[in-house]
Amino acid sequence: MAKGMFVDTTICTGCKACQVACKQWNGLSAEPAHFGKRPGVPYPVADNFTGDSYDNTGTLSATDWRHVRFIEQIDESRREKRWLFSSDSCKHCSDAGCLNACPTKAIVRTDLGNVVVQQETCIGCKFCIPSCPYGVISFSEETGTAHKCTLCNDRIHNGLGTACAKACPTGSIRFGELADLKKRADARLAQLKGKGEKARIYGYEEADGLKVFYLFADRPKVYGQPEDPVVPQRRLVLCSLVTILTALGVGAAALVNFRERLNGRDEEESHES
Amino acid sequence: MSPEIIQPPEWAWYYIAVYFFVAGTSAGAYFIGAMEELFGSGREREVSRAACYIAFPLLILVPIPLIADLGRPERFWHLFIYNQGGYPYLNLVSPMSVGSWVLLIFSVCSLLSFLDNLVADRVISFPLFSRYYNRIPRRLYAVLGSLAGFFIAGYTGVLLNVTASPFWAATSPFMGALFIVSGASTGAAAISLYLIWRRRNSGGEVERLEAFDRVVMVSELVLIALLLVLAGRTALPLMTPPFVAMFWLGTVALGIAAPLWFKYRSRRHPFGDAPVLAHYLCILAGGLLLRISLLQAGQL
Repeated sequence: MAKGMFVDTTICTGCKACQVACKQWNGLSAEPAHFGKRPGVPYPVADNFTGDSYDNTGTLSATDWRHVRFIEQIDESRREKRWLFSSDSCKHCSDAGCLNACPTKAIVRTDLGNVVVQQETCIGCKFCIPSCPYGVISFSEETGTAHKCTLCNDRIHNGLGTACAKACPTGSIRFGELADLKKRADARLAQLKGKGEKARIYGYEEADGLKVFYLFADRPKVYGQPEDPVVPQRRLVLCSLVTILTALGVGAAALVNFRERLNGRDEEESHES
Repeated sequence: MSPEIIQPPEWAWYYIAVYFFVAGTSAGAYFIGAMEELFGSGREREVSRAACYIAFPLLILVPIPLIADLGRPERFWHLFIYNQGGYPYLNLVSPMSVGSWVLLIFSVCSLLSFLDNLVADRVISFPLFSRYYNRIPRRLYAVLGSLAGFFIAGYTGVLLNVTASPFWAATSPFMGALFIVSGASTGAAAISLYLIWRRRNSGGEVERLEAFDRVVMVSELVLIALLLVLAGRTALPLMTPPFVAMFWLGTVALGIAAPLWFKYRSRRHPFGDAPVLAHYLCILAGGLLLRISLLQAGQL
C-alpha cells in the first residue's frame, strides 16, 4: 500500500512548476524578496536571491517544501558543459530520523507510509531539525512549530496524486505505488546504462529505503544529497552504553574515595605526607 | 555526509547550554551526595546535606529555560501526554522524551531529599513526614535519585550525539561521558562552595571530595582530548576566535587545567581562602563554557 514518488532528474527541465504547485496547494507563503538599494547599483536589488544559477530559494525551508536545484557543470577548458536539475523534497524515509527524535508524537507515519508533522501537537522543541540526515525539516518562527512536505497527505488520502507530480510537465516526478515506481525506475536505469550513461538510483538502501527516491546522473553529493546518510538514532545504543559505563566509572571513583571504612583517614593522611 | 545540508536547530545557548549546565551540576551534586550517603560512614553528613540543599533549588530553575526555548511554550505538557489521545507518551529512542520523564523522577527524588534534610536540620517540621522518617526511604530515593541524576547529567550529551549535525555526530559516543564527568566536577565544586559559605569546609569528608574531584577532572581532560581527536575536521569551529576564548581559555585552561594544578599544589602548600574560593568558581564557569562551546560548535 506504501505510496511514494520517483524523481527522474534526467528528464527534469528545471521549470519549477512543482515548486509553485506545492506552494499553491499547501498554502505556503513566498519568501519575502527584500528589495533594497545597494551603493553604486541604480536599480533595487533583492537581497535574498542566491545568484546561484536559476536557484532563488537555496534550500528547503518551512515554507519551501520543494526546491529545484540547478547544477552547472562546466569543464576547465569550457568546452563540455552540462546543466543538471533536481527537484528535492522530504524523502519520507522508512526509518525517519525526525520521527524517531520527536518527543511528543507530533511526527507520525500514516497508513500510506508518508511522514507528517501534526501541527496541533508539535511544541517546537526543534530536536527533529538536526535529526534529519537530509536537512529537510525546518522550524517556522511564525507558527512556532516544525514544517515539511507531507507528501500531500490530504490529496493522497482522497485518491489524488501529489500536487508536484500532477504539475510536472515532463513526468520527472511520478507519484504512485512504491513497487510500480521501482519497476519504472529500474527500467529507466537499464535504458540509460544501455546508452552508456553513469546513472544511479538514490534511495533504495538509504534509511531503510526512501519513499521518495531519485534517478541521478552523477554522484549524490553533486545533487546536494549525503553520500552515506546515517539515521542518527542508530548511534543511540553505543552512546548510551558508553555513557552508562562512564557513570559506573564515576560511581566507582566515588566509591573508592568516599568509602571511609576501607581507606580510613589515618591512611589518607600518611599518604599525603 | 554532506554537512552543508544539515540544518542547525538554533537552540539558544542562553537557554539550552545553561540548562545543560544547571541540570548537570544539580545532578552531579545529587549523586555525589547520594554516594556519600550510601558509602560513607554516616558520621559526617556535611557533603550529602550540602548536595541535597544544592540539587533541588538548582532543579527548580530548570523548567524555565527549557520551556522558554520551545516554539510553543504553552504546549510543554505534550512532552508527557499525547494531546490527541490523552494518554502518557514516552518515545524510547528519543533522548528528549526519556529525559523529560527522568527529569520528573529526579525532581521528585531531589525534593524528597531536600525536605528530608530540612526536617533533619529542624528548619521545618512536618509531622507526617517525621513520623515515618527513618533511614530506609532516604536510602531508597538516594539510590533512585542518583540513578536518575546520572541519567540527567549524561543524556544531554547523548541527545547531541544522536543528531546528524556533523560535529555532534562525529563526537559520538563520548559527549554523554564528558557531560557526566563535567557534571560530577561542577557538582563537587558547588558542594564545596556551599560548605565554604556555611563554614563547614574541613574534615575528612571534604578531603575525600577533593580526591574524588581530582580523579574526575583528569578524566575530563582525557575525554576532551578523545572528543577532539574523534571530531577531526568538524571541530574546526573550535579554532575560531570566540571559541578559542570560550573553549580553550575558559574551559580547558582556566576551568579545568588551572584548578587541577591548584588542587595538587594546595595539598602540599595550603593557600588562603580567597584562591580556594576562586578555583571553585573557575570550575563552575569552565563547566558552563564547556556546554556553550559544544552546543554552539554544532550549530554553526
